[in-house]
Amino acid sequence: MTAAAASMGVAARRGGAGFSLGPALVIPATLLVLAFLGAPMVLLFRYSLNRYSPRDFMIDAVTFENYVRFFADPYFIGVLGTTVQVAALCTLVSVLAAFPVAYLLARTDSRWKSALVIAVVFPLMVGNVVRAAGWMALLGNDGAVNATLRWLGIVSEPIRLMYTPFAVILGIVAVVLPYMILTLQSVIESIGRDVEEAAANLGAGPMTTFRRVLLPLSLPGIIAGGTLVFILCMNAYATPVLLGGPQFKMMAPALYDQFARTTNWPFGAALAFILMTSTLVLTLVGTTLLARRMHYRKLDAAAR
Amino acid sequence: MTTIAATAVGSASPARGTRRRAGRYALRAIATLVFCFMFLPVFFVAWISLFDQQIVSFPPDGYTFAWYANALSRPEFARGFVTSLQVATVATLVGVSLGAAASYAMVRYRFPGRGALNTLLLGPLVVPGIVAGTALYVYYVALENAFDLDIRATLGGLVLGHVLLTIPWTVRLVSASLIGLDRAMEEAAANLGAPPLVVFRRVTLPMMRPGLVAASLFSFIQSFENLELSLLLVGPGRITLPVAMLNYLEFRIDPTIAAVATMQIILIGALMLITDRFVKLSRIV
Amino acid sequence: MSELVLTSLRKMYGPTVAVDDVSLTVREGELVALLGPSGCGKTTTLRMVAGFIEPTAGTITIGGRDVTYLPPHRRDTGMVFQSYALFPHMTVAQNVAFGLEMRKVGRAEAAQRVADALALVRLGHLGDRLPRQLSGGQQQRVALARALVVNPGVFLLDEPLSNLDAKLRLEVRVEIRELQRRLGLTTVFVTHDQEEALTLADRLVVMANGVVQQVGTPEELYESPANLFVAGFIGRSNVLHGRLVSPGRFESRGGLAVEVPVTDRAPGPAALALRPERLALAAPDATLPAGINRAGGRLTLVTYLGATTEYRVALGADDVLTATLPTPPVSDPLRRLAAGDAVTLIWPADQCRLLAPDPVGDGATDEGV
Repeated sequence: MTAAAASMGVAARRGGAGFSLGPALVIPATLLVLAFLGAPMVLLFRYSLNRYSPRDFMIDAVTFENYVRFFADPYFIGVLGTTVQVAALCTLVSVLAAFPVAYLLARTDSRWKSALVIAVVFPLMVGNVVRAAGWMALLGNDGAVNATLRWLGIVSEPIRLMYTPFAVILGIVAVVLPYMILTLQSVIESIGRDVEEAAANLGAGPMTTFRRVLLPLSLPGIIAGGTLVFILCMNAYATPVLLGGPQFKMMAPALYDQFARTTNWPFGAALAFILMTSTLVLTLVGTTLLARRMHYRKLDAAAR
Repeated sequence: MTTIAATAVGSASPARGTRRRAGRYALRAIATLVFCFMFLPVFFVAWISLFDQQIVSFPPDGYTFAWYANALSRPEFARGFVTSLQVATVATLVGVSLGAAASYAMVRYRFPGRGALNTLLLGPLVVPGIVAGTALYVYYVALENAFDLDIRATLGGLVLGHVLLTIPWTVRLVSASLIGLDRAMEEAAANLGAPPLVVFRRVTLPMMRPGLVAASLFSFIQSFENLELSLLLVGPGRITLPVAMLNYLEFRIDPTIAAVATMQIILIGALMLITDRFVKLSRIV
Repeated sequence: MSELVLTSLRKMYGPTVAVDDVSLTVREGELVALLGPSGCGKTTTLRMVAGFIEPTAGTITIGGRDVTYLPPHRRDTGMVFQSYALFPHMTVAQNVAFGLEMRKVGRAEAAQRVADALALVRLGHLGDRLPRQLSGGQQQRVALARALVVNPGVFLLDEPLSNLDAKLRLEVRVEIRELQRRLGLTTVFVTHDQEEALTLADRLVVMANGVVQQVGTPEELYESPANLFVAGFIGRSNVLHGRLVSPGRFESRGGLAVEVPVTDRAPGPAALALRPERLALAAPDATLPAGINRAGGRLTLVTYLGATTEYRVALGADDVLTATLPTPPVSDPLRRLAAGDAVTLIWPADQCRLLAPDPVGDGATDEGV
């Protein structure tokens, strides 16, 4: 009896202390991501080092000429420049537009709060193509905006809104705003009303409270949201294609064209990695600059 | 010194009060404008889908529901809708199962490389859709050539790509719900005599349900409305709805496509409302 | 109902010892409180008994059966968790029935036992509610009913009162004690609240740094603490540091000479523990019988506490004693004592506890003075 119990104990102990099947649950998802994201990315990178020939399609090689070609070609440099400009502008606009909404959402006690949060998420969920269609209905020559302007007698001929950088920026800002609002909202919520009340109690007006207390404290949220939004803008596809038209090229559509129309895979692959690398570098530079500014301000305050 | 400060604040306060109220109204006005701006395109799509004319112009001649019938009778949209539905459903089932299992392992067990795996599984969020799409495209072509298979423009090929979209959302949402779960609850069940599998089925799984529901919703929607990843993976006869819409919109905007878009808006809105009854969406986003 | 025996139980986390060589017998029907500050190993010990933590060494037996390596669900312990850990998706009755269901008790019998258990904790009418619809005290009682309904061999309570407000805590404390007595449950109760432990437990186990400092009845622990840690943790103590100069004679660092009971402790560095309520104030010129200590000093603080008053007295440079006395009547001149007044403290020699100078050790590291 005792011996049996003891041996059972030993067996159970071995089971407990030994190898558990639990962690293995992570394997299927990991394999899937490795097989259908990791491996394809590696292959794409490999292709970016190949050589393109119109006759043989793709020749095995290890060359950087696709990357060199990109940076030597004013057209593609222009495409990258446009993309960066649009992304930076859209990020800036979305921060400015999102902050008031995020602040109100974070501070409201209204019972409509959850409805409002869902209202922020809803456009996000509807999809870029659908929203682009909406902008087309608004901005076209016969669209709602021009119809209104004509009805008001402000213009006699329709003004060109579609297929302009303006349309693209408008469309992209609308796409990324919900992300910015949600990120800022959660950061502002974590700041706590009492800090603002303390500032007011010490004699700071609303603007001073905002500038000296709220803004520095929400800077991490602005950096996080800004990074996310900037990445989304850099990679925008549907909005520039539909609202910018064939003349207005950003990186993502240009990359697609290399595969779908030109079938220059090596160069297309190089475009993909240039897009990702430049996005990464720019976000790193941006966040570092902002973070350093935050740091200096802290030192400044300390010195005072 | 204190007296001076006190009078200064005192005398300024009525003006400051008005200014503060004005500031609050201004803030609300801006927020309202931003909300309108976000909803403007959604509203206009829905509106023009009812216009009683082929060419969109404002104001409309009249209103009709005829374009909805027209949209459904067009094979590219009808088939696109079915394809997107199939892909999104299967991708959600697969992705949520795998993602939830992975989250469980990563939250509940300590093992080397856990952090790295977590980053890897969130990876599909970081890689631009268009890049992942092209990478999958060249990968599928290479696999097709190597093994003499059909992968592009098959349901399987699309689903495998779309599962990538669903895994990160699932890992994020399910992990969050698992981290919030009081482990004492599972210990209590074991203490009351429940073996590990019973504990999982009777306690852990029910507690994970909000996370799983939310993950399914987001996964489904991410897959259903995805454009970039699908662009190069579709083919004749198997085109997802967003790709079909994009192809159509590159030439024109008319009430037919607006009707298609509106149906997608209604579908997604309905899904969100239904889900909100089970889990408070405002708490998980 | 059965006896619980822990033998040389030890738990290591890497090189850190969480529980070190704990041996303890909880007799049938006895309530033993594990008491100590957070991180002292009391909860780890309890969780090893429940089977959530596997000990590094040692054995646990319940009613003579070795359960050391048995998984939790085969141990027959009933545990009440600090957070209650009620299943939020099940009703109160379903929560209570869960353990019976796991034991494959028939439906009719289970329903009866659930009803009985809920009646026992006076919640018979709330079986259909969900846990979140109950108050904290009610949730607490559901947790009790859920653990008790299965007639566990050992009843385990992990700080069950810490989430209740002060008034409710007193009520539930009495209720738990009555239930435990009535059902004759072998019970281990973990708490960091010494008052809770003193009022509830048959015996107390005081732990610190994973080591049992002393086991005993409330009276034993209060009257003869084994070391400075116990003396300070159970009730309050005045502590004088100094040395035992000869058997029966202690000299504090401040130079105060104190007569102490003669023990077999060898002369050397030592500490003296003295309960504040065992001190008294006396006239400076009073003649005292033998065996009474006397020390003159200056009042630094008088704190009126209603029934009692606390006098803080500085004796020379280093030594401070606090005396807690029944508040004197208004007519008494003592009532007019104030900070700065000179006073004389007296106390019987046999109230002095001579202890090792370091808080938890046995005097092996005698550098402390």
